[in-house]
Amino acid sequence: MGKLKETFLNPILKGNPITVLVLGICSALAVTVELKGACVMALSVIVVTGVSSLIASLLRNTIPNRVRIVIQLVIVAMMVILVDQFLKAFAFAIDKQLSVYIGLIITNCIVMGRIEAFALGNKPIPSLVDGLANGLGYGLILIAVAFFRELFGSGTLFGVPVLSALGYTNNGLVILPPMALIILGLIIWAQRSVQKDLQEK
Amino acid sequence: MEYISLFVKSIFVDNMIFAYFLGMCSYLAVSKNVKTANGLGIAVIFVLLITLPVNYLLNKFVLQPGALRWLGAGFADVDLSFLSFILFIAVIAAIVQVVEMVVEKFLPTLYASLGIYLPLIAVNCAILGAALFMQQREFANVGEATVYALGSGIGWYLAIVALAAIREKLAYSNVPAGLKGIGITFITVGLMGIAFMAFMGISL
Amino acid sequence: MNTNNNTYTVIYTTVICVLVAAILAFVSQTLKPRQEANEKAETISQILTAAQFADKAELQKMGNAAIIQLFNDNIDGKAEVVSVSELKALNYKLKAGENVPVPTYRFKNGVKVIPIYGAGLWGPVWGYIAVDDADGVRIVGAYFDHESETPGLGGKIKDDPAFRAQFKGEVIDAGNPAKPFDIVKGGSPAGNTEDSKVDAITGATMTSKGLDAAMDVWLGAYVKSLNHGGTK
Repeated sequence: MGKLKETFLNPILKGNPITVLVLGICSALAVTVELKGACVMALSVIVVTGVSSLIASLLRNTIPNRVRIVIQLVIVAMMVILVDQFLKAFAFAIDKQLSVYIGLIITNCIVMGRIEAFALGNKPIPSLVDGLANGLGYGLILIAVAFFRELFGSGTLFGVPVLSALGYTNNGLVILPPMALIILGLIIWAQRSVQKDLQEK
Repeated sequence: MEYISLFVKSIFVDNMIFAYFLGMCSYLAVSKNVKTANGLGIAVIFVLLITLPVNYLLNKFVLQPGALRWLGAGFADVDLSFLSFILFIAVIAAIVQVVEMVVEKFLPTLYASLGIYLPLIAVNCAILGAALFMQQREFANVGEATVYALGSGIGWYLAIVALAAIREKLAYSNVPAGLKGIGITFITVGLMGIAFMAFMGISL
Repeated sequence: MNTNNNTYTVIYTTVICVLVAAILAFVSQTLKPRQEANEKAETISQILTAAQFADKAELQKMGNAAIIQLFNDNIDGKAEVVSVSELKALNYKLKAGENVPVPTYRFKNGVKVIPIYGAGLWGPVWGYIAVDDADGVRIVGAYFDHESETPGLGGKIKDDPAFRAQFKGEVIDAGNPAKPFDIVKGGSPAGNTEDSKVDAITGATMTSKGLDAAMDVWLGAYVKSLNHGGTK
């Protein structure tokens, strides 16, 4: 049981997919302009990493090594597309919100990265936990970046005016992607000032 | 002339890294030194150069609405575009798999230093991104698609080698402990991105 | 079991690929009628929003049947709803310079809606421009949608009511079919409704450019048909 707990906690702090493993950066830049989008993306990724790690782990003994990349990606892509198709038929309004993220989720390196690094060598339950936890660790950073970008870029939080109500002039630079990188850099700095063992020589 | 302007444009103006911020994960992680960056950059150019024309033909003759007309009039209404994501990805993943096997066999040192980031080229957003851009921009022929692939690949290659060179120098400078390594790299890339925005106004 | 065996690898890959394709094709076929009904209602609700019959969010709550009812009650005569994928096919022809008529929707209250379609940054963008049928060029409303623009940047063409509110009252330049309308950075001084210009979205250059090009192609073709006599 203690092992599972560690599998769960590790990706959130010590092995965070964004700040430590450097995975899933593209989407972290694309969806952090506003908090709402970041939350939607975070939830979707938690579900997808969890389920795809579980499936990959169940199949791990049958996948031929030489074509494993193709098989993994095809399975991940199929699941994401299936969800999209069902939502389009039964919950159209939600699908309109999510469809923007479909491509970003399939090519999110975290999904593939965790399958390669963890799920292929571990039992299904730990793989599921690892997938979920990585999604969560990713989501937390996403929300942190989006918080600063929306607050200083648009003066709002979840679309509700906060700084702009105080007469703040929006900083257009913050909503551009390069600024997301710089904010991420600063978050890493903050994290590593606390967790000194993560510092690189 | 059109090919040249498309080529230059895809290297600088539409740079995969600095204009679209695609393919970031491996870009940041494998840019510690110029030699490895060089290897990954070439692998990306190679994968793009093969997958894009293949995906272009797939799109033109299989996926587009009405693309199956060459099979007979009965197929004129078939629309397989819902399969485009999965087919593009399958093609990319297959090529990456081949590259991985070749690198493992012939360049074992490079294979070891690229580590997990070699298979991750398959999910390098720059490559799927290029395929989707290609589908959307409706290139007139395979030639244009190939030139675009080469341009984007070279743009990505130049970007990663440039960053690797900067990081090699950075290793000798006095960076705050918490920022060392990946932290300062993020900030460097952010600043490079701001600089590259100057190209956005150029229309070729 | 030796999973590195050649035969095994080939068979395994083939089985997975066929299986995945079959599942996707099956699901896509069975769900198609429902999806198409949803998409049609969505298209109609966008047209109705552009024509200022109701707000998009209100329409969403009404449900598909009520949306179609509202459309049928107000449309002048009979109009086939042109789907987004049909717009895509038309866009090919328009860009190739073919002389195809731009579909329009005429409502009983004297409003006419013209669709537009083009390429944004990551995927297609489209929209509906509602004009006053009396002169055919004065815009009364607009609505835009996209498939995969960046949320918060390019996505604003749909999500930011302030962006589409700019279009209200603007005029389409009928004398200039090559550039009947302009979406530019720092575009239009507030209150100037005669310059056929609105402000682009900050930070979303490519999406704004794409939308601008789509407006040129579709409104250009529309304006040409205006100039050739008849507002039909």
